[in-house]
Amino acid sequence: MLKDVTFGQYYPADSFIHRMDARVKLLLCLLFMVGIFFVTSFAGFAFITVFLITLIASSRIPLRSILKSVKGIIVLLLLTVILNIFFTKTGTLLCKWWIFEIYDGGLYFAAKMFLRLTYLVVGSSVLTLTTTPVDLTHAIESLLKPLKVIKVPVHEIALIMSLTLSLIPGLIDETDRIIRAQKARGANFDTGGLVKRVKAFVPILIPLLVGGFRRAEELANAMNSRCYEGSNKRTQMRIMKLSWRDFVATFIALLFFVTVFVVYGMQSKWATADVGWLYINGVNWLYF
Amino acid sequence: MDIITLENVSYYYKTYDDEGAAAQASGVEGINLTIREGAFVALVGHNGSGKSTLAKLLNGLLVPNSGTVTVCGLDTADKKNIFEIRKNVGMVFQNPDNQMVASIVEEDVAFGPENLGVPQPEIVERVYSALEQVGMTEYAKRSPHKLSGGQKQRIAIAGALAIRPKVIVFDESTAMLDPQGRREVLSVARELNKQGMTVILITHFMEEVYGCDEVVVMSGGHIVKIGKPSEIFADERLLEAVGLDAPRSVALAAKLKSVGFDVTENCIDARTLGVEVCRNLTK
Repeated sequence: MLKDVTFGQYYPADSFIHRMDARVKLLLCLLFMVGIFFVTSFAGFAFITVFLITLIASSRIPLRSILKSVKGIIVLLLLTVILNIFFTKTGTLLCKWWIFEIYDGGLYFAAKMFLRLTYLVVGSSVLTLTTTPVDLTHAIESLLKPLKVIKVPVHEIALIMSLTLSLIPGLIDETDRIIRAQKARGANFDTGGLVKRVKAFVPILIPLLVGGFRRAEELANAMNSRCYEGSNKRTQMRIMKLSWRDFVATFIALLFFVTVFVVYGMQSKWATADVGWLYINGVNWLYF
Repeated sequence: MDIITLENVSYYYKTYDDEGAAAQASGVEGINLTIREGAFVALVGHNGSGKSTLAKLLNGLLVPNSGTVTVCGLDTADKKNIFEIRKNVGMVFQNPDNQMVASIVEEDVAFGPENLGVPQPEIVERVYSALEQVGMTEYAKRSPHKLSGGQKQRIAIAGALAIRPKVIVFDESTAMLDPQGRREVLSVARELNKQGMTVILITHFMEEVYGCDEVVVMSGGHIVKIGKPSEIFADERLLEAVGLDAPRSVALAAKLKSVGFDVTENCIDARTLGVEVCRNLTK
């Protein structure tokens, strides 16, 4: 029943992007996310589209996998488009029906928000599709390292992430086992109303939770037995090395985003207040 | 040389009854035991006999309420010694899934040496030599949850070996495995002992005791007998009292002997018994 659940979306392949250092990929992805909010014209979006197509082509990820992640936010996309169409009241009035008014400005904003959100997801899914969760964890640990100075427990955060990753398959197996055990005793999870179905999950959650504590204790014993102290003298087996790929990619990406920012700077001379409002709107959606 | 010494060791678990009053449930009581360096010692007992409690006392996961546990001359009750003690006593637990800390085999094995602060090139060397010792080198880059139970347990053994301990304790490490997995783990344990490692094997499968130097039988938190495997197997009354079964071949050999055949009492597996029977028949 739960066997088809895969964690993370890593798509194994051998490409330029796959071989890049996870830290560089993560940073460039963040830069892309910021950069996309500085694109305001459709010409700019065309530019980004070309960039993304090149990126996807060089990562050898099938388009289907990327569209799958866009499908995940389809509700959010539709909501954004509808809200922007009906609540933006700039430009010329196109049509009016009862209390609904559609302005051409609304259509523009809706289209731009749609593109912006879609590209955000496409850009970040290129990162998660080409980087294993383990590599991402290491990248986050490595990038957060400077925060150790202000006493942020970077190593512990990374360890929690990596333990979570390693325990998930076991938890899925256990959930599966409990579900089968409860089914064998006549539990019914597939019929009845919503409340009934939710209630039916209580006999799964309780054993899972109890089992989780038992697991945690056994794991703690195993970690202690292997000399875990959480001290700073801990070393690491994995060394992350920058290669020529990372420098080339960074160079291309920086060139690209400098262009985006320069174009934005030229545009902002005649940017209207509405554009400013759009940014706030966009940032809000980002945090959603 | 004695590597581990337990002197009059007792450990009580704290339990609470329905009214919330504290009570003491006995884990182990009055344990005296010495383990020689390089020995292969089996610790057998029924569920609740205290054998797992004893295992946890050996590397300071539990500290005795009374008595002393000394490992390589260090007292486990002294917190300053714990790190050094755990460097010397590796542990492999029962459930292979609950001792994995990373989602890639080589990184899991590296966890111990990373904790010790071993420099990076040496970690790689330790990880690969440990994986080679358990015959799992080709799985280094795989994800452990896709392996069989026996293979996962071999990874757990490699994780303990990478710390380079002097003693390795198998705390019912074969209990959850299928026969194939049990054979894999046991053959690794025997191989390690041959190379000079002190091995403490905790189990309730009597046939696993075969080939050990010494068997410690536990029941109700006490040690009831220490002896060679053949001595333990011969003592049917003791085995029955502590709820353990001798392998069938041993029982059969005893019966054959009682009707006048010249078989040794050492028939721990069917093969040895077969050889003994053939020898009798061709005589």
